[in-house]
Amino acid sequence: MSSAGPRAQIARAHLTRAVALGAAALLSLGGGWLYMRFIGNDGTSPLDVLRTTLFTLVGFWLVWGGVAGVLGILAPPMRAKQSTGRPRGMTAILMPVYNEDAAASFSRVAAMNRSIVDLGLADRFHFAILSDTNRDEVAAEEIVWFKQLLAEPMAEGRVFYRRRERNIGKKAGNIEDFISRSGGAYDYALILDADSLMDGATIAAMAKRMDDDPRLGLLQTVPEVIHAHSLFGRVMQFSAAYLSPYFARGTALMQGEEGPYWGHNAIVRVPAFAASCGLPVLSGKPPHGGHILSHDYVEAALLSRAGWKVEVDPYLGGSYEEGPENLIEYAKRDRRWCQGNLQHRRVLGAPELKIWSRFTFIQGIMAYAASPLWLALMAASILAAALPSKYWWRDNETGIWVLAVAVGVALLLPKFLILVRSSLGGRNKGFGGTIRAALSVMAEIVISTLLAPIMLCFQSKAVIEILLGLDGGWPATNRDEGRVSLATAFAASWWVTVAGAAVLAISTAFASDLVPWLLPVALPAIAAPLLIAATSYGSSNGRKRVLFTTTSETAPAPIIVEQQRIFLSWTQQGSALADPTIAGTATAHA
Amino acid sequence: MKHDRSDVFSGALPDAPMAMPKQVLERRRSSLFLTLRAAFAAALPRF
Repeated sequence: MSSAGPRAQIARAHLTRAVALGAAALLSLGGGWLYMRFIGNDGTSPLDVLRTTLFTLVGFWLVWGGVAGVLGILAPPMRAKQSTGRPRGMTAILMPVYNEDAAASFSRVAAMNRSIVDLGLADRFHFAILSDTNRDEVAAEEIVWFKQLLAEPMAEGRVFYRRRERNIGKKAGNIEDFISRSGGAYDYALILDADSLMDGATIAAMAKRMDDDPRLGLLQTVPEVIHAHSLFGRVMQFSAAYLSPYFARGTALMQGEEGPYWGHNAIVRVPAFAASCGLPVLSGKPPHGGHILSHDYVEAALLSRAGWKVEVDPYLGGSYEEGPENLIEYAKRDRRWCQGNLQHRRVLGAPELKIWSRFTFIQGIMAYAASPLWLALMAASILAAALPSKYWWRDNETGIWVLAVAVGVALLLPKFLILVRSSLGGRNKGFGGTIRAALSVMAEIVISTLLAPIMLCFQSKAVIEILLGLDGGWPATNRDEGRVSLATAFAASWWVTVAGAAVLAISTAFASDLVPWLLPVALPAIAAPLLIAATSYGSSNGRKRVLFTTTSETAPAPIIVEQQRIFLSWTQQGSALADPTIAGTATAHA
Repeated sequence: MKHDRSDVFSGALPDAPMAMPKQVLERRRSSLFLTLRAAFAAALPRF
């Protein structure tokens, strides 16, 4: 990243934060003032005040998201900090698994191991697969594929597997269990997810960065989503590859020494992590109390509290993950994240946290709380329109258009700026050229606009459930192709259809002038089952993909190719599970 | 943490324990009642 000294870097981060916060506050307050003028020209009622407050609040978080993107676009081009040479410290590469596809996860470990062995760094890196699997048939498969993994180059004595009988503390408890038993043998731990894949050179560079900066407690990469097949998955993949790096650069500009931790594809300094990140069980029952669900944000805050640097480096390549293939899987994951983020309100007041860490918690809470607030604003607007003498849009048609355009600009401007910047910098080559990249950005806007009301409903439901004290548990992530039938989609989203139809019916009956404004929300909601099912299908049958092309498809990194090759050779070579001797051993150990 | 004893691979992990003390995240709730109770308990002998 930058070559500026630490003090200059911190000062620059503080200044960037102030400018970003100031811009978001100014724009949202300005928007709120305009909104109040438009709706309150016949006298200000309590309903007007409520609507203006809601508009300003959700407007702030909308603008805040856009500001990070714009900052990233305006940021001067940088490169990852140079860290070459052989790492001195010992690193444990940890892959926690929980009822995952063992062949896929373990083949990723095999590919990363080969990459590290090829670099001649086998003696500096160990792998540990930390299983929390509680389904016996999956545990049996894990044993089989672990034996396959042990046949990999130099795996014996360097690649480990262990399974907990009781998954206390979930993923955070799994890592804590490893550190409390074996942490003393390692200087650093690279924490992965079951779907993580990282290039050996990137892993080595991260370990070297830890060697070179003794105050660095955690270094986070920005993983690129790969292997998406469905339309939904490929839109997310394109968005993550094309748009997210700029948002991450904006985040990096503001991070100072209190950067983010996203729970995986990051390296931590083991003694620092052990000394400062032992997570307590919060008082009370889930979803508000109990084990901390979204542990990553809390661990980053605790490392910062203890004086360690936490950094994200968006310029480190070679870091990959996979994403959900359909909206139902996405919503399941989002439900878990929502509960974890809302639980953070319990640690907002934790002693001696840095202010930015507390702000990060608020940001996470508002990422979910904003959805029911949008719905509340919509409900209040319908109510206001239904009341007599409140037909404000007739007198203020220009004004309301100004506001609508402003909201659109806040949402879309960063995406168009990224397209322009990528066109100027020659980055679009990896995305199929500028025309295809432009078409993909526009298609992404259309699809995300269609899906937004459905996600809004799912998030609002999640927030309400959590506020009512309903625990979402810890469902395993389904990472397969995930095609969703119309019947399944309907079973999951019929209530969204009903809600959309109800909004349309009520507004038609009581506030007909408002109907055109509500159609972009109500129609996708009514069509939710159709949209969920349709976007879960993809063109993986060899047809050329015109839209949403990414560099991981046009020029996949060697580590991606290698992992696919290993996975195919493992699963096609007759499936070790079919071997009765191996299967018998697996059953005996499960 | 309790481990599956039949898992032969667990024993292979390096035996290098490291303490991971629990952090304080929740402030102790203070109230007039709790303050009075603490003062009362500290000031008066208990049998």
